[in-house]
Amino acid sequence: MTKNSAPRMPIDPECCPAPGDTENINSPNLKAENFQQNESMNKDKPRIGVYVCMCGSNIAGTVNVPKVVEAVSHMPNVVVARYNKYTCSGPGQQSIQEDIKANKLNRVVVSACSPRMHERTWRAMLTNAGVNPYLLEVANLREHVSWIHSAGEMTTRKAVDLVAAAIERVALHDPLFPQRVPVTKAAMVVGGGIAGIQASLDLAQAGVPVYLVEREPSIGGHMAQLDKTFPTLDCSACILTPKMVDVASHPNITLLSNSEVEKLDGFIGNFQVTVRRKARYVDVDACTACNDCVKVCPVQIPSEFENGMAERTAIYRPFAQAVPNAFAIDKRGEAPCKAACPAGIHVQGFVALIAEGRFKEAYDLIQKDMPFPGICGRVCHHPCETECRRAEKDQPVAIEFLKRYAADWAFTHPEEFVENTAVYNLKGDDLAGKKIAIIGSGPVGLTVARDLAANSAECEIFEALPVAGGMMNVGIPGHRLPKQILEKEINDIVSLPGIKLHLSTPVSLAPEVNASAMTLERLRQDFDAVFVGIGAHLGSRMGIPGEDLEGVYSGIEFLRQVNFSHLNVDLGSQPKVGKRVAVVGGGNVAIDAAMTARRLGAEEVSIIYRRTRDEMPAHDWEIEEAADEGIKFIFLANPLEVIADQGSVSAIKCQRMRLGAPDSSGRRRPEPIEGDTVTLPMDTVIMSIGQKLDAESIEINQGSKGWIAVDPQTFQTSERDVFAAGDAVTGPVSIVEVVGTGHQAAESIRRFLCGQELLAGLKQGKTTKETPGYYEPAAWDRTPRQEISFREAADRNDFDEIYLGFTEDQAVAEAKRCLSCAACSECLACVDACGVGAIDHTAVDTFEQIDVGAIIIASGFDVWDPTPMLEYGYGVYPEVYTGIEIERLSNASGPTEGNIVMRNGEKPERVAILHCVGSRDEHHQPYCSRICCMYSLKLAHLIREKTSAEVVEFYMDIRSFGKGYEEFYERVQHEGVVFVRGRGAQVLPQDDQLVVYAEDTDLGQPVRLPVDMVILATGVVPSKGADELAHKLHVTRDINGFFLEAHPKLRPVDSNTDGIYLAGTCQAPRDIPDTVTHASAAAAQALGLLSQPYVEVVPTIAEVDELNCVGCSLCVEVCPYGAPTLAENRGRLVSKINEALCKGCGLCVAGCRGKAIALRGFTDNQLLSQIETLLQFSMDER
Amino acid sequence: MSESFEPKIVGFLCNWCSYAGADLAGTSRMSYPQNVRIIRVPCSGRVDPLFVVKTLIDGADGVMVLGCHPGDCHYQQGNYIAQRRYSIMHRLLEFSGLETDRLFVDWVSASEGKKFSEVVTSFTEKVRNIGPNPLRKKAESGIDVLEEVSS
Repeated sequence: MTKNSAPRMPIDPECCPAPGDTENINSPNLKAENFQQNESMNKDKPRIGVYVCMCGSNIAGTVNVPKVVEAVSHMPNVVVARYNKYTCSGPGQQSIQEDIKANKLNRVVVSACSPRMHERTWRAMLTNAGVNPYLLEVANLREHVSWIHSAGEMTTRKAVDLVAAAIERVALHDPLFPQRVPVTKAAMVVGGGIAGIQASLDLAQAGVPVYLVEREPSIGGHMAQLDKTFPTLDCSACILTPKMVDVASHPNITLLSNSEVEKLDGFIGNFQVTVRRKARYVDVDACTACNDCVKVCPVQIPSEFENGMAERTAIYRPFAQAVPNAFAIDKRGEAPCKAACPAGIHVQGFVALIAEGRFKEAYDLIQKDMPFPGICGRVCHHPCETECRRAEKDQPVAIEFLKRYAADWAFTHPEEFVENTAVYNLKGDDLAGKKIAIIGSGPVGLTVARDLAANSAECEIFEALPVAGGMMNVGIPGHRLPKQILEKEINDIVSLPGIKLHLSTPVSLAPEVNASAMTLERLRQDFDAVFVGIGAHLGSRMGIPGEDLEGVYSGIEFLRQVNFSHLNVDLGSQPKVGKRVAVVGGGNVAIDAAMTARRLGAEEVSIIYRRTRDEMPAHDWEIEEAADEGIKFIFLANPLEVIADQGSVSAIKCQRMRLGAPDSSGRRRPEPIEGDTVTLPMDTVIMSIGQKLDAESIEINQGSKGWIAVDPQTFQTSERDVFAAGDAVTGPVSIVEVVGTGHQAAESIRRFLCGQELLAGLKQGKTTKETPGYYEPAAWDRTPRQEISFREAADRNDFDEIYLGFTEDQAVAEAKRCLSCAACSECLACVDACGVGAIDHTAVDTFEQIDVGAIIIASGFDVWDPTPMLEYGYGVYPEVYTGIEIERLSNASGPTEGNIVMRNGEKPERVAILHCVGSRDEHHQPYCSRICCMYSLKLAHLIREKTSAEVVEFYMDIRSFGKGYEEFYERVQHEGVVFVRGRGAQVLPQDDQLVVYAEDTDLGQPVRLPVDMVILATGVVPSKGADELAHKLHVTRDINGFFLEAHPKLRPVDSNTDGIYLAGTCQAPRDIPDTVTHASAAAAQALGLLSQPYVEVVPTIAEVDELNCVGCSLCVEVCPYGAPTLAENRGRLVSKINEALCKGCGLCVAGCRGKAIALRGFTDNQLLSQIETLLQFSMDER
Repeated sequence: MSESFEPKIVGFLCNWCSYAGADLAGTSRMSYPQNVRIIRVPCSGRVDPLFVVKTLIDGADGVMVLGCHPGDCHYQQGNYIAQRRYSIMHRLLEFSGLETDRLFVDWVSASEGKKFSEVVTSFTEKVRNIGPNPLRKKAESGIDVLEEVSS
């Protein structure tokens, strides 16, 4: 259907010269032989003819034209000086041509209107008279003198100055010969609304290859949204969609949808346009538009096409008749929650799936990146919630609890997961036959094993303890993490094919080989790679007296022993706690130890911390849980000694502290208060002040603080085949971070075993919620964050869980709070749903360079948003609509299937239409938008027809200027529509209705009218992004932001840049017939250019005097086009200008230190003589 | 300062924006004082500092350099270069004892006829208040200032 992937039109090398390759061919009239008779004249002493135009009375009415002629007629070189009535007219030109012949004139000064108006006319006249067209100077006596000054001496004197300066300057002119460059026979049309469609079809019909660039996924523009078109009441879609299909099927048109112009190089006839092909994530050629993806997409955001009155999914097609008829995915960057997740969980995706009650899919999606959903759903420090953009509105989405809900659902619905869920993660068989040893079965070891097994590797896990799971199992107490969840999630992994688990099998990392023990050395011999994930299972000690006493534990050891008892593992003595327990430390382990001690029967548990609560590294919510359970906090105290009484602990002596200056971590450093100590009676002391690697001397390198040293990106150790990650590398961190490093380590191992580059393409940096471009909902559901239920502190005396989790209703309600800020949630459901495999979520923008000879801008308009006019209450009162919204209501394919009804579904009984909303208004748009009167009349007709409601139009003037428009106005009046002449002043609510206040200027009195519905006839503004497009294409815009035409009357489709044309509403507001006319006119102008074999390039460009050039290269630096380069000439470097690239701006000329560059037609001498004459001549007069 | 002092002002206007803006002021009949004489250049970046010096030495009381708005330059960056050039030029004027306000650099787009007429009106008034260019007398009496300086 579409030709998006069609090869670019082959460019005939003959037609498109390489820079510097351009031919310097003179036009027939400019060929040297034609000048032979005049050659001598051109080079001889200047013989100047001066012609002062009266322009009827335009100039002569203000400037004393005869006096000007008289004043300059005696100037040197002036042979003839005359005035004409109209110099631009045939007789005017003829008289000059006769003078040229009779008086052998070789230079001409015309003093008339702006050179921007008629310079071309007189150049052509000189050419016809055999004089080089560049031996002309135009003095602007109309726009710059007569039209802005009143008649008088000063005005005439100014005219004399300008003419005199032109005479001096023209004497210094040299004949110039424009370069001729072949034209690339192709055009680009920017914008695929009706204007762009029309222009493309016209050009294509004439045989020109056309590239139609449309930034939306479909062409059609605003016209596709309309219901009927005035005044004929044609169905808009019926007349537009056939044209859209023509575009798609025309062999000469290449449709580049979902694309934007990125950059423009080149010049008239020879443009090089760089087009950004935005990632669509759906292969246009493969997509069959079957709609299966839409059925599974969980994201609903307002449809732009329906003006927000209906929703669409993130994978979408703007409307049913879209061209190309293919879907696209709306992505607004990576969701901040996903970006923040160290494990890369598709957070927005699983939240969106939960919101739809699709719990199995949600669990499967979490499982893709997080092997422990239930564990992570309980103990994660959830950086995703910190980044959640809902937090800017009220509170973040409870992502962690939602993940827990999905995991709990999976736990209670095993029948839904008949196949082991982790198996689907099978990515390939890269590692078939490879054997990897994994030391440690903690979260990192299990993650690595799962990732590698998914690539068909054989993994053997060696675990020193009699249980798997590492710190998840032995470090976290049951009231935080139930054992049955752990068991399930660990089993899900170790039961995978390809994974073998050896419990109670310690591996020595020591370099010396001990024949009886399993060693790293042996594993390296037996396996292709080894992964070390041994965690940090040794508690740090303070080194104070009494630390070795009975009744003193390290926090890690204490929790491990308690967990062993719960796992029915008999290993060493079970910890006993006394009545009074002190826990030293401020981290999460300290909190867990304290709450565990309380559950073991301690009557009074105190946490002793050397700083204050603000500096505690433990999570806030955990500190609160502990406080709720009656755990005491003793801040600013540091143990000095554990005191024994009869061999067991009796007290702890602490140093009182105060906070000093911040340390390197930013926390205030505690300092001892000399002499201030306190002794607290205690029966048990648990030291929870940090963890260490549980290995002393190891074979691989260690870094700071004894952790294993690895490459921070690849996790490779000092031995190429040994990788390490997790707590053993980073020190204790949370499970989600450990899983993240596990994924990266597993990928490195995969690459290592496949012989690939380890570092290639690794992602650097993360996006955050500050990243621009996120979808910003206009309104959001204000439901507050769901509260998770938990057991009261008083009941929490066992190791059952504190938190009870969400109910299904709560989970769905909470998930619905997600703002879908990245639009597509990347739940990947569409990938599975797509039968033809057209969807690729990893697609990226690509760039394509296209060579064209002409460009037509047809970027269209936007409907003005009347929200700023608070008096009308748009966006506040639901029954206030804009005209385009009513178009959608009236359209049979719209949200109400063509019924014009209120939000409650009922037909209105009386409707007010307010004209000129924001238009003809100095506070908003000063201009008339031209379409609003007529569409208001059309809407009035449609409302009468469909609802029989009374319609009242509040208008200032009715502008029914087009063919059949006045008749339509007449018809609507006869249909019973009421017209009140006066602008609507205000809309206010009253009871169930709205009241329109206005002044009836015919009656000369204020009126108030209760209505059911108010329609605001808003005008049009330049389309969003028009400013950016103007900058990229170097074209100018008018004061209202519309593209500026070269001349308001005579060149309405030319921009100020040669070869770039304007079509439709991008230039000014206009209705459909005028837009189509304008577009065809632009196409005709472009055709005029493209049908010429060559285009003449202005000869007013830079040239280097190589003798004077010192080769300083300043010109090279300032030139925006790279025209000058340094080249060798007779042994030294001098600047050379590539004439094909030079645009004649003169930057290099003004910058040249040695005055070695001249700008033809604007040389220093010419301009200096002009300055001198302007000033001296007039002073002489005085 | 004589009461009838009419300053002479030379304006260098870029072809694409400011000259078109001046044309629009004309087409729209937005009157402004007669004191300004306009020279059309392709780009404000074409205006050599030499032109400004020459204009002042030849007796003009004020010089205007008008170009496209930042980002709108037809030649991509000519106006940026002009701006940098003329911020230095102001220091040169100060160094040579001339009022820096005699040189005026601004941006006028092709659609800003009204702004052009306002700019000319206010600059003329400003220069009128500064008074005649001290070099003007010398220029009028035919003394070659450059020669005088170099001798």
